[in-house]
Amino acid sequence: MSFLLIIVPLIASALLLLARPSGVRQIALAVGVVNFAISIFAAYSALYDGTVNHETNIAWIEQAGIRFSVGMDGIGILMILLTNLLTPLIILSSQSQRIDNEPRYYGLVLMMVAALNGVFLSTDGMLFYIFYELALIPIYFICAIWGGENRIRVTLKFFIYTFVGSLFMLVSLLYLYLKTPGTHSFAWTDLVNVQLSTVEAIWVMLGFFFAFAVKMPVFPFHTWQPDTYVTSPTGGTMLLSGIMLKMGVYGAIRWMIPMTPEAWHTLTPYFMALAVTGIVYASIIAVKQSDFKRLIAYSSIAHVGLIAAGVMAWNKMGLQGSLIQMLNHGINVVGLFFVVDLIERRLGTRTLRQMGGIAKVAPRFAVLFMIIMLGAVAVPLTNGFPGEFLLLNGVWQYNNWLGAIAGLTIIFGAVYMLRAYGMAMFGETNAETAEFTDLDGRETAVLGIVAALVLVLGFFPNIILQLTDGTVNRILGSVQF
Amino acid sequence: MFAGLFGKRDLLLPVTLLGLAAALGVSAMSLSTGDAGWGTQYTSMFSFDKYAQSFTAITLTSVLLLAGMSSWGFRTLNSSLGDHYALILFSLCGAVCMFSFTNLVMLFIGIEILSIPLYVLAGSRRDDLASNEAALKYFLMGAFATGILLFGMTLVYGSTGTFNTAAIGAAVERGVASPGMLKMGILLLVVGLSFKVSAVPFHFWAPDVYQGSPNTVTAFMATAVKTAGFAAFYRLFSTSFLGVNEFWSVGIAAIAGLTMTLSNFTAIFQTEFKRMMAYSSISHAGYLMMAILVAGQPGSAGAILLYMLTYSIATICAFSAYIVVAEPNGDGSFAAFNGLSKKQPLVALVMALSMLSLAGIPPLAGFFGKYFLFSTVMQQYPWLVVIAVINSAVSVYYYLKVIIAMYFTKEENTYEVLIPSSIRWVMVAGVVIITLLTVLPGNIFGLI
Repeated sequence: MSFLLIIVPLIASALLLLARPSGVRQIALAVGVVNFAISIFAAYSALYDGTVNHETNIAWIEQAGIRFSVGMDGIGILMILLTNLLTPLIILSSQSQRIDNEPRYYGLVLMMVAALNGVFLSTDGMLFYIFYELALIPIYFICAIWGGENRIRVTLKFFIYTFVGSLFMLVSLLYLYLKTPGTHSFAWTDLVNVQLSTVEAIWVMLGFFFAFAVKMPVFPFHTWQPDTYVTSPTGGTMLLSGIMLKMGVYGAIRWMIPMTPEAWHTLTPYFMALAVTGIVYASIIAVKQSDFKRLIAYSSIAHVGLIAAGVMAWNKMGLQGSLIQMLNHGINVVGLFFVVDLIERRLGTRTLRQMGGIAKVAPRFAVLFMIIMLGAVAVPLTNGFPGEFLLLNGVWQYNNWLGAIAGLTIIFGAVYMLRAYGMAMFGETNAETAEFTDLDGRETAVLGIVAALVLVLGFFPNIILQLTDGTVNRILGSVQF
Repeated sequence: MFAGLFGKRDLLLPVTLLGLAAALGVSAMSLSTGDAGWGTQYTSMFSFDKYAQSFTAITLTSVLLLAGMSSWGFRTLNSSLGDHYALILFSLCGAVCMFSFTNLVMLFIGIEILSIPLYVLAGSRRDDLASNEAALKYFLMGAFATGILLFGMTLVYGSTGTFNTAAIGAAVERGVASPGMLKMGILLLVVGLSFKVSAVPFHFWAPDVYQGSPNTVTAFMATAVKTAGFAAFYRLFSTSFLGVNEFWSVGIAAIAGLTMTLSNFTAIFQTEFKRMMAYSSISHAGYLMMAILVAGQPGSAGAILLYMLTYSIATICAFSAYIVVAEPNGDGSFAAFNGLSKKQPLVALVMALSMLSLAGIPPLAGFFGKYFLFSTVMQQYPWLVVIAVINSAVSVYYYLKVIIAMYFTKEENTYEVLIPSSIRWVMVAGVVIITLLTVLPGNIFGLI
């Protein structure tokens, strides 16, 4: 079943790119929905005691100890659900506008989905690396072909930055691989058993950290991110912020810390400091933004900074918080970027000052946007709350001061989100916003699903927490410092 | 070869292709049966062992593709068409000698058979100044290199008393009476062979020669000739000079590091595609030099083999896309590729795949070539691998330039791009091979 999740979108992508059939939109959406159904079924039929479910393990490049082995434990299931839940939403939201060369666009989106599923399912180090890099190619093309101003320069920076980052991870993986006994192997279970000295572990961990920190991004490796998010087409931004940045967080949980626990004590204080600095820094910049899309880009850095801090704290609260928050942040940020896209398409601007009074003319839009916005601010009973609460609790347990500083994110988050909402939706209408048309059917469907998820997951966070509970316990128990 | 003599112009290409395919079939068959061919008969001169067979097989694959490409690339040639094919095939014979020699004399003869037709091919556009310049430069440099090489062989013979590579290996292992002479000989051999594979600081001829030669010939030089050079380099050093490897490994490591770094940083500033490819080809020579360092280690020969195949196929695909864009329009700059993805999606796709593969971006075939090479070198020379990894990252920048022009640039040009059917076949075959190598790289690596 794990195998299907990768191969179905991959074949569909090849079909769209090479054969360019008609009915592209329907095919893409159908594949998205099928994948979601497969992942729901996989989640339904899995065991949640921390074991790996639905495994496929076949020999691939035996001379190099590389196997095509995929499978999912609780964390993997969460990531798969996230990816395949957001995919149909992203595809559906892209369909409310005209895109040049649709077969190419949807083909690349599906290739991206295959690669993302591969990243979250791989239980072999080299396979993980290959999917991790494969995800870069389609998103680079999506952003650079359909992007806005300066797209070539911005996306080139993005590409080279992340490519270099992952090369360091490759060196780390290779180092671990060469330490495995006998004829070497890249299997997760073998790599994790490698014992390193503290000095070796520090270098290996830094290699992983650089790759993941660029992807998330953690301050000060974030400089590619705001420009890329702003320049990319909305579908690309959603893929980047909703799913792709989770590759970094997931990589830290699954690969970095279990591989190099020896270096955790030495390096974590620095990583924590960076993550918390990033939270405050990005929040302050977000408060000052006048461009709505850029504001969300910075808010995303702040949120992911907190998630990263929760992972680095490496305790039950922090990990559970980061996992549930990855899902919820993905849902919220896709909703928010869709909101930006809706406004931009209708008004031709993203500048908050040129909006105002939209709530008067578009009540349906105002309500749905409000719910999503509250989720992003982490108001209790919305989906943002349990995650942030657990994360802050986890960071607090690690270090009270850091927890207190990280807590500022809630205050800042409320400030910049409410300010943005107020400027866009309330006040007097101007000539442009008076013409604002309310949502059509497809747009309502996308925002409605997102808003419903915000509320449902806010009321019942246990649905998600149960998925990962067993796996988190097992990981925490097996990684010895 | 003689079909041209009888004026059977139309027969030339089919005969060439058929012959190449038959040769490929034979070498593949002997590879799969483990048959040593007639190796035992002439062991004192050459031995057609697994190493030679597999390198012959991959070179034949490249030359087959090149021959397909040449049917269009050589379209303007009239009376001399037969000569061109004959020269390429002669050169290929030289390459096969270089894969299989067990005697320094055969190595020398192989290099000469390989090079002399190339001097002619480089200058085959007689009315073109650049082509003449290329031929003259190539000939002068090649002649010097040959002289140095020969001098090196003489010194090695002088110190060990034999031309047989295995016997030299044994003598070196035991220790020779005049180690100074041997070392001088090895040094001269390194210099001579570095000329042939265009490694820094003996690379100055390469960009001009690559740029001046006809495109098909350039593609041949960058792929088959380079394969022959490295295969011979590796074969010689792994059989003969392992005994004194601490002497030459420092030099080779320095050459490898310099080659990749200098050429990569020069390639960034190129505005012409063909010149960029020349520097890219030098940088790949730098990566491959690392394999010489670990000569004799398990996996190192397989690593060169896989690397050479992925590199050659991607280069040929890139050149086949280049000639349909650049030749009819007389513009070889990156700007000539603007908007190609709209005009000819197939050409753009082939070019993009080749560039990504050359840059070594996973999961494309080129990544596995680099991966096996780097992981073989990693244990002994981790710092060199770090330099190589940084260089691969730098190279992404200039390989992406073409992709940016094809897919992302909004400025259009008025060039018309048509794909002749032979080029289409080359492209499709190239993409199929790249895909196969992406899915099953281990099968090539495991051949030797």
